[in-house]
Amino acid sequence: MRELIDTGKAFFRKRGWTPFPFQEEAWRAYLEGCHGIINAPTGSGKTYSLGLPILLEFLRAAKDKKEQPSNGLRAIWITPIRALTREIQSSLQEAADELGLNWNIAIRSGDTSQSERAKQKRKPPEVLITTPESLHLLLASKGYPKYFKDLKTVVVDEWHELLGSKRGVQMELALSRLKGLLPDLKVWGISATIGNMDEAVEVLLGASKDDERFRLIKANVQKDIQVRTVLPDEIETFPWAGHLGVKLIKKVLPIINNSESTLIFTNTRAQCEIWYQRLLEVAPDLAGIIAMHHGSIDRKMRDWVENALHEGTLKAVVCTSSLDLGVDFRPVETIIQVGSPKGVARFVQRAGRSGHRPGAESKIYFLPTHSLEIMEAAALQTAMDENQLEARIPYIRSFDVLVQYLITLAVSEGFFPARVRQELQQTYSFASITDEEWAWCLAYITSGGEALQAYDEYNKVEIEEDGRYKVNSRRVAMRHRMQIGTITGDGSLQVKYLKGGRIGTLEEWFVAQLKPGDTFWFAGRSLELIRIKEMIVQVKKSKKKTGKVPAWMGGKMPFSSQLSVYLRRKMDEAHRQDYEQVELQKLAPLFAFQRERSHIPAEDELLVEYFKSREGYHLVIYTFEGHNVHEGLGALVAHRLSQLQPISFTIAKNDYGFELLSDTALEIDEALLRRLFTTKHLSADIEASINAAELAKRKFRDICSIAGLIFKGYPGKQKKERHVQASSQLFFEVFSDYDPDNLLLLQAYEEVQTFQLEEARLREVLRRIANQRIVVRQPSRASPFAFPIIVDRLREKISSEKLEDRIRKMKLQLIK
Amino acid sequence: MSQGSVSVEVAGQTFQLHPFKAIFWQEQSSLLIADVHLGKTRHFRREGFWVPQSAGDQNYDKLMSLLLDLRPKRVIFLGDLFHSDYNQEWEALTDITKGFTEVQFDLVRGNHDRLSDHAYAKADIEVYEKPLLLDNILLSHEPLPDYLNESYNLAGHLHPAVRLRGRGRQSMRLPCFYFGESQGILPAFGNFTGMADLSIREGDRVFVVGEDQVIAVE
Repeated sequence: MRELIDTGKAFFRKRGWTPFPFQEEAWRAYLEGCHGIINAPTGSGKTYSLGLPILLEFLRAAKDKKEQPSNGLRAIWITPIRALTREIQSSLQEAADELGLNWNIAIRSGDTSQSERAKQKRKPPEVLITTPESLHLLLASKGYPKYFKDLKTVVVDEWHELLGSKRGVQMELALSRLKGLLPDLKVWGISATIGNMDEAVEVLLGASKDDERFRLIKANVQKDIQVRTVLPDEIETFPWAGHLGVKLIKKVLPIINNSESTLIFTNTRAQCEIWYQRLLEVAPDLAGIIAMHHGSIDRKMRDWVENALHEGTLKAVVCTSSLDLGVDFRPVETIIQVGSPKGVARFVQRAGRSGHRPGAESKIYFLPTHSLEIMEAAALQTAMDENQLEARIPYIRSFDVLVQYLITLAVSEGFFPARVRQELQQTYSFASITDEEWAWCLAYITSGGEALQAYDEYNKVEIEEDGRYKVNSRRVAMRHRMQIGTITGDGSLQVKYLKGGRIGTLEEWFVAQLKPGDTFWFAGRSLELIRIKEMIVQVKKSKKKTGKVPAWMGGKMPFSSQLSVYLRRKMDEAHRQDYEQVELQKLAPLFAFQRERSHIPAEDELLVEYFKSREGYHLVIYTFEGHNVHEGLGALVAHRLSQLQPISFTIAKNDYGFELLSDTALEIDEALLRRLFTTKHLSADIEASINAAELAKRKFRDICSIAGLIFKGYPGKQKKERHVQASSQLFFEVFSDYDPDNLLLLQAYEEVQTFQLEEARLREVLRRIANQRIVVRQPSRASPFAFPIIVDRLREKISSEKLEDRIRKMKLQLIK
Repeated sequence: MSQGSVSVEVAGQTFQLHPFKAIFWQEQSSLLIADVHLGKTRHFRREGFWVPQSAGDQNYDKLMSLLLDLRPKRVIFLGDLFHSDYNQEWEALTDITKGFTEVQFDLVRGNHDRLSDHAYAKADIEVYEKPLLLDNILLSHEPLPDYLNESYNLAGHLHPAVRLRGRGRQSMRLPCFYFGESQGILPAFGNFTGMADLSIREGDRVFVVGEDQVIAVE
């Protein structure tokens, strides 16, 4: 052991490095045959903490063995993003060469060519760097047990990223099979710090975290972060509502100028497009030295931008979460966050994308898009000081991923249910499944289950005489391999120049609004639509300066409960006029106005405003719990009110509060409000108030495609999104009518509860309100706090009036 | 008149607008039905969508109960009766037409109706290639373009819907029957068919279908 560690140290010394204590600790733990998690941020040398002992372990074993023609696949290194694979490969290859090992460190991802894959199949590389999806593809190929027979370890890099998604579940499943195959397999995770580290460990390691071989190794390498807020000169003229933030765009110019390179993070792709365009308008001299980057821009163009960032030829890049992760760009000195990051961890993560030169610190500017967001800046800073990071909630019991996995196993070697069931018991996600649920899954993959049974056109998995579940149809197998994965597309159309150059992808519904000859802005250029041909949008460059900016659907990022706690604390400071932070100081005139017209709630108060306008009667309630929770809470309160009298509401919300608007006046007093916020009959009321079916229907689309209910078509012959959508809704309705206990259907409701409505948090809020004082104010007009909420156009509806009565009160929209 | 129906007079004829999204034409004792899109579920399955069979069954139930309740002499489908190429669902429809031999079944061909002549003959459904004139009502699948004539044009094809708005930012989107000056449009009969918003002009008559009721709107 000693000798091996010294070999590792010697390798480091040659490079002029000394190992961090956590690295050495990891080497030892690994070589002792342990498994566990390395808790280390990106750029801390985490790759060598596990990469090196993998090599050392082989050195130790090879000593008493003769040279072999092939060492077999020794290690699998999983990474969630392709951008990181090259860096990991070169680090590991360098170390292997240095230690005199004739090892091949290979990458397998969606980009890997067929011939390269075939080569990897014939002669396995010693280390394979890949993604969860590609790992499942390997499990879908015949002879995988033989392919994995020499495997000693699986490293799951950036585990915190996979954890909060269904890719995490995919990872759990693949590991359960590999551990079933190889009882001595070591599983290691690498994770940045998150709020629920213990859970992260449990999910990755499943039942085996409880044995004495488990280690949690903390890096304790912390980087300093400097945070500043871009403040408007005059708060009085700064908008009360909005989300673009371009009002302050001139203020970013000096920041860009004073920094070698800057990343400007926006929250949506549309906002990214707009910011890029506006930046060039206010500073034409930036043309050629700024660029944009988001997930719908063609990969080649994104690669070009990333390369240019590495080389330091770009002064600034306007981007979205597409640059949250990846290899560090050393020239990037500064980050600008436009609008609320919605969570502390995301803000810290983005800050960490800057300052990678030796001795440099991370620098981030927060640029608010409306007045109250300035408060969020103050809240973020306090939360960071107190090191409060969000948890990543793992998906559990994702039956869509499970049935996909079962078919994967059936496609390659086939499987025996008892054995697989036993392996699943060891996972975090599926430890709790019952015999009935298991039977359902098996029925689903063989006959389609209750509602789908006896479908003549298909026959997926067959049961062989010996009880093995197997796919024998080549067509089914091929289709399945094409569908493996949990990242579902959004019905995108390729955008190409007439001559063929690819620009990126747009969503079908946006393209549907365009006519040939229309101009639109995309990827920072003005384009004219020529025609749409076979799901390809053909365009040419346009000289026109005006045009639509595309938008992309996609869920709103949820406002974290950490941020919510700190925002309420800042509200309390404003209540006490304790303006210690410069952000709060700046907001003083706005607070004065709010106080004059209404009230600023202390931490033990709930503010409720009620006023009348031309539109009707507004009831605005401030709970500061984020859009998702307010969606549920708004519906709940509206439902309870509508039980008292026939009434219809539209409900608006933002991250700070929600509003019920009706055409009928209400008698608002504390007694009524207490009734509205009671925790009594909560479950029943939630069920009755929220149109869970509507929400679940939306979730169901992804579940359908993961579970293989929908085939999206062969490459180049994709189906229209409209059809995919239509048939997923059809399934939803049919399952609801004929097979209400369908596990995929129930899963959709679960996901709505956990991830969309955040029901646990909603209950928490009501418990809190029970102990708060309710302050009711009836301002003559909307207060500064109410304003951004009441302008929200995306409203939900709830009504206890008869449909007939409602229709009679309404009018048709006439065209003039 | 059946529950939830509304009776309207159009071009001198009496139409009962049924909440199942069909019209009973009193003078002719005829049932008018547009855009059933039968066979869509099987069609989807062939295309690789695992749509369960039961999905389309409601269409048959609705058709049967209309036949039993209203006892029409004649049923005229205004096109898009069958969604796709032949599949077993056609047989289910044939069972119904064969079960009501006293009723005459007609189809004004729509863009989706492309089964063989044999199939229609077997189901005892007469197919009209051109719009069908009965009294002063001209029945077609697609609304005839720029139609201004002596007779009144009744058509389907569009799967019409309207948006209603009220105070307090209320709004709703519902399928509808539409009667303009010289042209009327039926809602799609089939479930699992989409809807398209109609533009409404002053003077048009619109009846929305909400739950189990047809309701006139202004």
